Amino acid sequence: MTAPNPVAVTGTAMVTCLGDDDETFAALLAGRSGVSRLSNVDGETLGVTHGYPIEDGPERQLRPSGWLADVVARAAAAAGLDPATRRVAVVVGSGLRELRSVERWHADGAELSLPDLHFDAAVRSVLPDVTEVLTISNACSAGGYALAVGMDLLAADEADAVVVAATDTMTESMLAMIGRVGDEPVTAVAPFDADRGGVLLGDGAAAVVIEPAADLDEPRPLIRSVGLSCDAFHETAPDRDGIVAAMRDAHDRAGIEPGGIDLVLAHGTGTALNDPTESAALASVFGSDGPRITGIKGATGHTSGGAALMSLLVAIHAMRTGVVPAITGLRTPLDEAAGLGLVVGSPEPAAARIAQVDAFGFGGVNAVTLVEVGMSELASESVSQGDRERLARACEGES
Amino acid sequence: MMRVAISGHAVHVPGLSEVDIPGAPAEAAAGPDDAHRVLGRKGLLAKEPATRLALCATHEALRLPPGKLTEPVPGAASTAVVVASNLGNVATVCQVVDEVRAEGRHAVSPLVAPNASSNIIGSSIALRYGFTGPNFLVCSGATAGLDAVRLGALLIRTGRTHRSIVVGVEPDDEIATRLCPGLRAAAAAIVLEPLTADEGVVLGPLTRSRATLASTMDLPGGTYGAAGVLGVAIAAALGEDHQVACGDPNDGYAAMPVTRVRTLVGIS
Repeated sequence: MTAPNPVAVTGTAMVTCLGDDDETFAALLAGRSGVSRLSNVDGETLGVTHGYPIEDGPERQLRPSGWLADVVARAAAAAGLDPATRRVAVVVGSGLRELRSVERWHADGAELSLPDLHFDAAVRSVLPDVTEVLTISNACSAGGYALAVGMDLLAADEADAVVVAATDTMTESMLAMIGRVGDEPVTAVAPFDADRGGVLLGDGAAAVVIEPAADLDEPRPLIRSVGLSCDAFHETAPDRDGIVAAMRDAHDRAGIEPGGIDLVLAHGTGTALNDPTESAALASVFGSDGPRITGIKGATGHTSGGAALMSLLVAIHAMRTGVVPAITGLRTPLDEAAGLGLVVGSPEPAAARIAQVDAFGFGGVNAVTLVEVGMSELASESVSQGDRERLARACEGES
Repeated sequence: MMRVAISGHAVHVPGLSEVDIPGAPAEAAAGPDDAHRVLGRKGLLAKEPATRLALCATHEALRLPPGKLTEPVPGAASTAVVVASNLGNVATVCQVVDEVRAEGRHAVSPLVAPNASSNIIGSSIALRYGFTGPNFLVCSGATAGLDAVRLGALLIRTGRTHRSIVVGVEPDDEIATRLCPGLRAAAAAIVLEPLTADEGVVLGPLTRSRATLASTMDLPGGTYGAAGVLGVAIAAALGEDHQVACGDPNDGYAAMPVTRVRTLVGIS
C-alpha cells in the first residue's frame, strides 16, 4: 500500500464543558475537570448523577446541531474557506446524533422534524454553499471515522477541501444503560487509574478543515493517516487485537514505524474494560520504550463522537507548544499500564513531532489517527537543542 | 481509477417475493419476527427489527444457505460494512426513556444496551459474519442510501478494503412512522468488489441536485434512507443500465448510474 498524500489541517475549532479551544487547553494544563452534577435529567433514577455537560441554560432541542454550527463556522473562517469557489464537502461524525431531541420529542412533547435528526440544515445554516453534508454515526470513534472519510474524499479528488466535524450530547437512554450496568454512581472519570469507577459522558463538538498539503505555501499540521478496523468481537466490549489492527493500519498507511511516534492521545475512558485493553494494545505495539501517553476524558468526560477530534486538537496544541498535559483524574496507574509512558500529575515538556490519537467505539469500531507537526512549527523555547537534533534526524530519515 | 462492481445483491422487503420486485427472495421475504427463517434462531435476542432485516439482506446478498453459519464466510477479514439507516434505533431509545422514567433503571434490559448506539446494525453484521474492516453508519436522511453506496465504493478505491457490504434499512415501528409518515420496513444489501472479471455491473459517480432526480426503474415508495441501496440492488438484479436516484425536498437528491460493462482484464 502506498502512503496517502498528506493532508494539512488549515482550521480548527472546538467547544467542550471547559469552554472554547483555548479555555479547554488551559484547563487541561491546569488539571481542571469540567465534571458537575447533571441537572437536565433525573440522575438518581438513572443511576448516573454526574457528567461533563456544557452549561448553557435550560435544556432545549437540537443543542448538538448548535454546537456543530458554531465549530464548523469558526473552523471554516480560520481556514479562509470559500465554498462558492471551491468544492467544500462536510463530513459530520456523531455517536448519538440528535437522539436526545428525539427523547424529548417523545417523552416531553418538544418539537422535532425528521430532517433535524441529521445535520444538513445545521451545517448549511453557516456554510450554505458546501457541495454535500455527509452524516455518519459510529459511536465513540465517529470523529475519527469522519476524518478517514474526509481524507478519502480528498484522495479521490471528490472535494478540494473537507470540513470534518463531530458533535454529541448525552442521551437519557445511554445514561440509563450506563447506570443499569454500573455498580454505583461515578463522580469523576479517572482514565488508566487503578481505582477508576467507570465512564461519564460529556457534551461538545469539534471541527477541522483539511486540504491537500501540496496546495499550501505555509507549514501546517499534517494528518498522515487514519487507520480503521472493526473488532467483530463483542457488541460493547473492546478487543485488543481489533485495536492493534487499527493502530497498525494507521502506521502502515502513513509509512511510519511505531518508534517514530512521540505522543499518544489515548482513548482512555476510565472503564473497567477499555483501559486495560488499550494498555495491552499500546504495550503490544510500542513495547517497553514507548511514547508519552496522555488523554482528555478525565477533564472533558467522554464526548462520544466528538472525542477523537478534540483529542486531535489537543495533540496538535501539545506538539506546537512543547507541553503535554497530564491525564486529569489519574493518580495511580493500573497494573496493566505499568510499562507505559503515562503523563501523571503535572504537564511535561516534550519535543513531539508525530502523535497518535486513539478512538474506539461500541460495536468494536476503531479509528486511529496519526498527526504531524513540522519542525518549523515546533516552539523553539520549549525544545532543547538535543531534542531538535533528534527530531531533525528523524525528519531527514523520513524525507 | 479502479472500477467497482456489484458482486452480490439482495432486496429484502417483508412480504415481497421475486414475483413482486426484482432481486427479492423466491418466497416472500421474512419480516423481523420471522428472521430466524433466514438466519437461524441463535443471536437474534434483543435485536431490533432494522438489525434483523439488515442481517437477512446481508445473508441473502452473500448467497448463504438459510440458518446458522456452518463455516466462516470466505474473505471475511478486512471486509467493510457501510449501513444506511436513519430510524433503526429511535424506537429503542424512546422505549428506554419510558421504562426508566416509569420504573427506574432496573426495568431496562441490559440486553438492549447496545441498541442505544445508532451503529448497532453495522456492528451486528460484523459480529455475525466476522467482518473486521471499516464499519460505519450513514444517516444523512433521504440520500443516505446512495451516500452509503458511494462511500462503500470509496473504501475499495482508496485501498481500505477488498470488499464492502453496503446495506440500506429502515423499520416501520410506531416511533419511526410518526417521524416519517408513510415509512415502510425495507432492507437491501449489495456486495462491492473491484471489477476484475470480463464483465460486470459497475457503479458510476454520484451526482447531486436540489431539483428532483428520478430513478429509471420502479422503486417501492416510503423507504427513506434505504431507498438508494434498494435501487442499486434492483438495478443489479435487472442487469440492465439504470440510473438510481433518491432524496427529498429537504435533503436534496442524489443519483448514480449502474451500468453493465464488458471489459478486458488489465486494460480497463
